Amino acid sequence: MGLAQRKNYRRGVVGFATILLLLVFWYLATTLTGLINPSRFPRPDEVLSAFTFIQTEGYGNGKLHQHVLHSLKLVAMGFAVAVSFGVPLGLLMGYSRRAEALINPAFLLLRPIPPLAWIPLAIVWLGLEDGSKILVIFVAAFVPSVINSYTGVRNIDTPVMEAASMLGIKGWRMVAEVLVPGAMPMIFTGLRLSLQASWTTLVAAELIGALYGLGSILNQAAQDIFPAMILLAMVFVGICGASSTWVLGALENHAMPWRKGRVAT
Amino acid sequence: MKKELNPQHFWSLTITGTVGFFAFWYLARGLQFAPPQFLPMPHEVLFKLFELMDKPFAGATLPEHMVASLKRFGMGFGLAALVGVPLGLSMGWFRLLDDVITPIFDSVRFIAPVAWVPFAALWFGTGIGGPTLIIFAGAFPPCLINAYRGARNVEVRFLEAASMLGVGSFKTITEVLFPAAVPSIIAGLRIGAGLGWLSLVGAELIVASSGMGNLILRAQSALATDTVMVGMIAIGAIGVVIDILIRRLEKILLRHRNA
Amino acid sequence: MATIKFSDVSRVFKRDGKDFLILDNINLTVQDKEFVVIVGPSGCGKTTCMRMAAGLEFPSTGSVKVNDVLVSGPGPDRAVVFQQFALFPWKTVYDNIDFGLRGQGIAKEERESQIAHYIALMNLKGYESAYPHQLSGGMQQRVAIARAYALNPQVLLMDEPFGALDAQTRVVMQEELVKVARKNPRTVLFITHAVEEAVYLADRVVVMTSRPGKIKEILDVKSVREAEKWDQHSKIEDVMDQESFVHLRTHIWKSLREEHAGSDH
Repeated sequence: MGLAQRKNYRRGVVGFATILLLLVFWYLATTLTGLINPSRFPRPDEVLSAFTFIQTEGYGNGKLHQHVLHSLKLVAMGFAVAVSFGVPLGLLMGYSRRAEALINPAFLLLRPIPPLAWIPLAIVWLGLEDGSKILVIFVAAFVPSVINSYTGVRNIDTPVMEAASMLGIKGWRMVAEVLVPGAMPMIFTGLRLSLQASWTTLVAAELIGALYGLGSILNQAAQDIFPAMILLAMVFVGICGASSTWVLGALENHAMPWRKGRVAT
Repeated sequence: MKKELNPQHFWSLTITGTVGFFAFWYLARGLQFAPPQFLPMPHEVLFKLFELMDKPFAGATLPEHMVASLKRFGMGFGLAALVGVPLGLSMGWFRLLDDVITPIFDSVRFIAPVAWVPFAALWFGTGIGGPTLIIFAGAFPPCLINAYRGARNVEVRFLEAASMLGVGSFKTITEVLFPAAVPSIIAGLRIGAGLGWLSLVGAELIVASSGMGNLILRAQSALATDTVMVGMIAIGAIGVVIDILIRRLEKILLRHRNA
Repeated sequence: MATIKFSDVSRVFKRDGKDFLILDNINLTVQDKEFVVIVGPSGCGKTTCMRMAAGLEFPSTGSVKVNDVLVSGPGPDRAVVFQQFALFPWKTVYDNIDFGLRGQGIAKEERESQIAHYIALMNLKGYESAYPHQLSGGMQQRVAIARAYALNPQVLLMDEPFGALDAQTRVVMQEELVKVARKNPRTVLFITHAVEEAVYLADRVVVMTSRPGKIKEILDVKSVREAEKWDQHSKIEDVMDQESFVHLRTHIWKSLREEHAGSDH
């Protein structure tokens, strides 16, 4: 085994061992020794039974997959709308100084307001229904899309842009065949940040008040003082966040066959 | 790409954009995009802002709410920086530490800070302890990651010089890694502060009885939309000020280095 | 008829509130199908001249006309070859050459045969599906030149096109360019700071002073080249051995030396 491989192997082994040790410690601390009070942190078996419970009987208005799907649906909608408006806007602001000067004021005024701070306003306008959630997700996902698409266009090498105008490329061809591919890496960064923000914001919005969703499970479990369910919901929040990031990463690799290190087909 | 704008052109467009924004707001109210009590006019929000400076709402005046929030932020962010930066630097130096902590960190990292709220409330209450944990959860990752990256990116020749001179681990971390990693650390602090402030809002929306987040939530219950908007603007403004302060710090520290 | 006419052209550059005079009263006419090379010390404004003909920059006073039409912006009639290649990284070699052609309303078969012709001409056969990052600097510049030629432009503008290449590749590219240029003469404005390159390629060489750039002298190389029959030598080193070549080269060197001595480099 080469040195690098050995290092990675050791890393993997130590990592695995650490996680294993922590799990063992968790079991011992809660079950055998009572070091951690079960009303503060659940026992491993409690978490497992909570998992089966929510799968079979449901908790807080639904079964686990119903909650997750509901959350997924809202994120998908808010994210899709935000990105459909945000990316073109960012591209436009990056390409046209005029557009940038005109739109920037509104953007700069609204941008500092954290998406979570929109939740009360969204509730005033749209109640506790899905609509207010989608609005807040939209706000959260919109800003990173715009900023990163903007940066993406600005990062296109000046000679490349000059070559495009020299060739007489205008309008739609400029957008589709120069701006979008040129800004693609940053666009994907924006998409990733938008997606993460979408999840975070949705969980918060659901925590405040919702019928379905992982956040609503968290809320219900907090009220019922059900630590096992709290932990379970947290784990699933993490899983959803991680998997959507992973999916985007895979898409990103497919979308850009011209990047260094890839073989042209 | 279009030519650069000359200054007059730039300013006239910027002013048009600003005026346009407020004009649209007034128009939205006029056209009743939302019922009037749910969409105050810009000047009504401004008046409310002045009013809240000394007239209490939800138990305290606006400045008092701000202070409550900033106290929590200070604790959570301070803790995140004090733990995250040294830990990140040490992880950059001690490979074993890196191998142990990284898997734990990677597993926990994807849990949105706000998801910690139930446990935070359960363990530390809703005064200052609970929200602090959530701010910590938000601010900690960037502080750690940037300190770690800064340490890892230190040029090998500095480390070789240090080991040749027989410098021990602690000194290497504090006197070689830390100064070299300062730009990265400051960038991490800036990002961490932003995320920490964001998380604070989330925390206060859910589990606090004072502070800016709590203020806008109570205002929402009372359907006092103008107060909600004042709160939103104030939250945004504080976020901007914090960012500016850290950027100032960044400039001062980095200017010192380049001189 | 494709001529480039600089009439009383001056260019002032504003920075930090100060005015810098880059070009001072340039008067130059590039005749139809003439290969004119501008040499000069760094910062003398020679690239600026080319960029004004391209429509990427504009004179502060005076006018630049191509075919007696005032230059108002970039376009495919004035094809540019950039020093940094400026290929689109997300397009294959074929697509890079095709991109500008597509907007010109040429039938598909015609386009394909044109592109094939230039690919063969620039020794790019077999690389049609490659992406720029997979090609060496020399290959990339060949694509850039093919792209410019394929546009069948009135005027060809080349900004130190071989500056980013290593010495051996440079020589090969110069030989290739000469072959193509003699077989298919076009109006060319070529910028370089390499004197030998200038003498080898040019019909006329324009020597510029250091900043603010003025035309110091113009040398007629073509008459010497034809009289001494340089073109019978296919290798560049044989041409550069000719006494007439050395004489011209040394003359220009000396001229430039005076500029370096006089300026504050």
